[in-house]
Amino acid sequence: MSATDTGGRVSRFGSAVAEGWTRERLGLLGAVALVLVAFAPPFQVYLFTDFLVVALFALGFNLLYGYTGLLSFGHGLFYAGGAYGIAIVLRDLGPVIADVVGAGISPLVTFVLGGVVGLALVVALAVPVGWLSVRLEEIYFALITLAFGMLGYSLIIQDPAGLTNGTDGVIVLLGTVDLGGFSLRIGGRRIYYAISAVTVVAAVYGVWRVVNSPFGTVCKAIRESPDRAAALGIDVSHHRWMTFIVSAAVVGIAGVLRAGLASVASPGLTHWSTSAIAVIATVIGGATYFYGPIVGAFIFLYIRWAISRFPALEAYWELFFGALLIAVVLFFKQGAVGGLLLLRDRLFGDGDADDAGSGGGGARDDGGQATAATDDGAESGDDNARADRGDNS
Amino acid sequence: MTTVLKTEDLRKQFGQLTAVDDVSIEIDDDKITSIIGPNGAGKTTFYNLLTGVLEPTSGSIWLRSGEGDELADVTDAEPHEVAQAGLSRSYQITNIFEGLTVRENVRVARISHEGTRLDFRSRATGDESVEADVEELLELTGLTDIADTPCDTLSHGEKRTVEIALALAIEPNVFLMDEPTAGMNPTEVTEIVSLIRELDADLDATFVVTEHNMDVVTDISDRIVVLAEGSILADGAPEDVLTDERVTEAYLGSDSV
Ligand SMILES: Nc1ncnc2c1ncn2[C@@H]1O[C@H](COP(=O)(O)OP(=O)(O)OP(=O)(O)O)[C@@H](O)[C@H]1O
Ligand SMILES: [Mg+2]
Repeated sequence: MSATDTGGRVSRFGSAVAEGWTRERLGLLGAVALVLVAFAPPFQVYLFTDFLVVALFALGFNLLYGYTGLLSFGHGLFYAGGAYGIAIVLRDLGPVIADVVGAGISPLVTFVLGGVVGLALVVALAVPVGWLSVRLEEIYFALITLAFGMLGYSLIIQDPAGLTNGTDGVIVLLGTVDLGGFSLRIGGRRIYYAISAVTVVAAVYGVWRVVNSPFGTVCKAIRESPDRAAALGIDVSHHRWMTFIVSAAVVGIAGVLRAGLASVASPGLTHWSTSAIAVIATVIGGATYFYGPIVGAFIFLYIRWAISRFPALEAYWELFFGALLIAVVLFFKQGAVGGLLLLRDRLFGDGDADDAGSGGGGARDDGGQATAATDDGAESGDDNARADRGDNS
Repeated sequence: MTTVLKTEDLRKQFGQLTAVDDVSIEIDDDKITSIIGPNGAGKTTFYNLLTGVLEPTSGSIWLRSGEGDELADVTDAEPHEVAQAGLSRSYQITNIFEGLTVRENVRVARISHEGTRLDFRSRATGDESVEADVEELLELTGLTDIADTPCDTLSHGEKRTVEIALALAIEPNVFLMDEPTAGMNPTEVTEIVSLIRELDADLDATFVVTEHNMDVVTDISDRIVVLAEGSILADGAPEDVLTDERVTEAYLGSDSV
């Protein structure tokens, strides 16, 4: 992309530089960073994998929240669904699969099959849960999803079918692929990181495609005004239902990865406090931006890690996050991404107040109030897309 | 002349209050019909019944949805079904997708009309026929210059125009406008009136307009229906209705004229 083509006017220079940064260079930088992380000390590799998984969890959640306007407090249910799906397949089908495909390759086959089953389980859950939930709006939607999440929690603990192993959860053993001279421990820190990174990047790309598709455009319209959307012939509750299922599926993929990372599928995954992590990460990062939940997950996990290094403070980390959240909600309604873009505009975009089309920052500067939540979530990527179109025409 | 919309004894009660009181009306496709009446007469409620937003207490609603002359019963239809059947509306209190740009607003409506709303694989901007239709609509409503402006930064008059563009984008048979000039300054009023006249001439849609501004009403109407306390007080050609004593009486004490 050559954003500088757009006229080459001096006043455009600042934002053109900034646009160049947000797209390709950041993408390249991200790819390099992802590769470099693989060579970090083991714990850092683990922590970064943790971040990727939580980022996907929050991103899936935000499809429903930031893009469609529905705040779910029960997405832990789908996180747990993915985790238990793969955990149970590994435990119960692992030996069977080993008999069929041979012990050497069976860990890989079982892992992939477990992922597929976990995803299918989540979709099968999301179909009825979503159908019932989207009948409600706002606080009632938040409450019914919270209730479903906690229902899942107690079912997993009660374990009526004898599948979930109660409060202990299901241990996840990923095993080692062994093909003659070549052996690969799937659960090894670096291998698992590589698997997670590829999966998460692919899933993030998938979500990005969805939000920029006709489907995602309709989501945004529904978020802005459901009754207006209906008056244009859009079946709002059906669309919300479909979005709910897609959102749950993305969270389910994160859940599958979570099980392998934690080596256990535990009931806590569907506890409301886990659902809240998606909410918190999203709010900290900025629900109105595509990358908001990812940035929020990063901040959440790394601050938590930093605090955990000081035993005296560790007991208070929730208190600390409470304070951080209050600060964000009060002073940075657009979250960290909103704050960063504002900073970018301050640094590069000053003196081009007339240039409304390029930065879009103006709309965000004053977006602290009601419209804050309605700011176009895809803007961070979209601004540039728009500039591209301008170049072409 | 064909009837495009018809109600039979349409009624809506809110508790003790009868907001729409057994209204029977036929809307013809060769006229711009204005529905006027003092504040609280039941105009918006009537629209909400027609568009499926409110459920009627009793009565029925019929809409011509295809090319033929038959009317379909849409009394129990959901708002999106009514819209798909060819009835579109604009709102008294501006109701557009504020966080999206003007072009994105119209695009959403076209996506809905084309039936591609569940397509999650292509790019929203990638459908050339949709994009061409969007541009045409922006052109038609004079919004091309501000197409990439986020709607929450538009002036009130511009928002009102987006409101109209949205409603038209689904190619309605009948277009219900609820006070299109609400809150506009005189220049904007003049512009919107000429836009409505143009659109009525260019498009197949039948326009039904509620309006408090009597200059606008006399300017655009071929037929005026007067609602008062939920029922039809007068109905006919503007010169007859506006000189009707009962009509002037209904408006006395109301500051809306
Ligand atoms: N949802 C509702 N619940 C209860 N009463 C309502 C509701 N909607 C409208 N009403 C009442 O019904 C009556 C008709 O209201 P409506 O809004 O249809 O009038 P209107 O003719 O559109 O008035 P205006 O010219 O002020 O827009 C009013 O008395 C109003 O208070
Ligand atoms: Mg009204």
